[in-house]
Amino acid sequence: MFKNKSSGHGVRLHKTGPQVIQELHACIGCNECLLACPALGEPLTIDVLNRETLSGPISRPVAQFARSCYQCGACVAPCPVGLHRDAMMMWLKVRLLRAGWGE
Amino acid sequence: MESRRDRFEAHRGEAGYSWLYRASVLNGGTRVLFTILVISLAAGLFAWYARSENDPAPDSLFGLIYAIIGSLLLLFAATLYTLRKRSHRRRVVGGLRASLGWHMCFAIIGLAFLGMHSFGELNPRTGTYALYGMVALVISGLIGRMLDRLMPRLIAGEVHQVLTEEGDDRIETISQKLQAIVVHNTQDIRGFAVSGQTKSAASNSLVPLAQNRPVAWQDQTLHTPWDLAYISLESTPQELSREAGQFRFVPDEKSELLRPGALMPGSQEHISELEEVRQAMQHELFYRYVIRYWRAFHVLLALVTLGLLVWHVVYALQLMIPPLMH
Repeated sequence: MFKNKSSGHGVRLHKTGPQVIQELHACIGCNECLLACPALGEPLTIDVLNRETLSGPISRPVAQFARSCYQCGACVAPCPVGLHRDAMMMWLKVRLLRAGWGE
Repeated sequence: MESRRDRFEAHRGEAGYSWLYRASVLNGGTRVLFTILVISLAAGLFAWYARSENDPAPDSLFGLIYAIIGSLLLLFAATLYTLRKRSHRRRVVGGLRASLGWHMCFAIIGLAFLGMHSFGELNPRTGTYALYGMVALVISGLIGRMLDRLMPRLIAGEVHQVLTEEGDDRIETISQKLQAIVVHNTQDIRGFAVSGQTKSAASNSLVPLAQNRPVAWQDQTLHTPWDLAYISLESTPQELSREAGQFRFVPDEKSELLRPGALMPGSQEHISELEEVRQAMQHELFYRYVIRYWRAFHVLLALVTLGLLVWHVVYALQLMIPPLMH
């Protein structure tokens, strides 16, 4: 019924953990995705976001950003290296979700 | 004691992706206050005018002022956010969110002004259609904001089902398990007993057969080609038929895989799990399309409303200008 397009402006599916890790390592930290984000309310550095997306405890600002993100995909087009920040945010959301259920 | 607890919380980190989450952004409160204040002032003035004047009408001076303010606010709401989104100048982290907040704020104030401009006259004319368009536009925006909150949480729930605890693709993991079952069963089939007649036929063949190679299949002798360069287009007994039930990957009603004990225990669970994951992926994609297409619908509605507004302005000018000329 729906086709998954891997390039252009098509709707993308989630990415797996190894794919997210690969993208996080490829991030050059230019901040373009955060500048283009209409959901980010308070200043946040890309280093902190990348580190906490990958593993470990999630701080309050990063968690709030993940909860505010509505997967609009505005962060994908400005990325100069073609990464999918929306998929990374989804990974972060699933981590938050699982951490919440684990309580 | 409190500090120790705080340290523990910080070490453990944030958890949960609740529906009832509320972003603690201070500017949001300012915008809500501003909206309430402006609408209250406009409503107060409207009430005063409606009581003091004998002919409160949309084409009165007061009505026209409200119409101009309302239209400008709606145009401002539309252009501010759109231009800010596309602009590459003076960008700050979080600035776009503030613009989105003002976009909603101006849209609601603008609609309130235009509603008051109508003075309750909702005759089937151009102005009424434009007003209905604006109401639909603002409501679609508010619904869009609700969907923005709802859909990502639904998507995360589906992705949770699709990924394993380690973050791997569950379809791949389940497929590997099913593959192992298929391999196991294939090995079982290769272990079929060989009849004496076929044994002798095999021993007479020019090319010696491997010990574990099947030499008979469904009472038919497996022919060994005398010439290796010869490739027949006819199906050979060694080829596995697609219709053979034991080689079907996903069973249907006719498949022998549905027979109890046909596969290793747990195969049915894996197959149903595979179906669940497939459905979760479809749901995920659907929710993503809802987010995307609702935004496109909102933009389309904005264009239609703009058209209705222009139509109404032209109509109103046609009525107003001739008396002014004479």
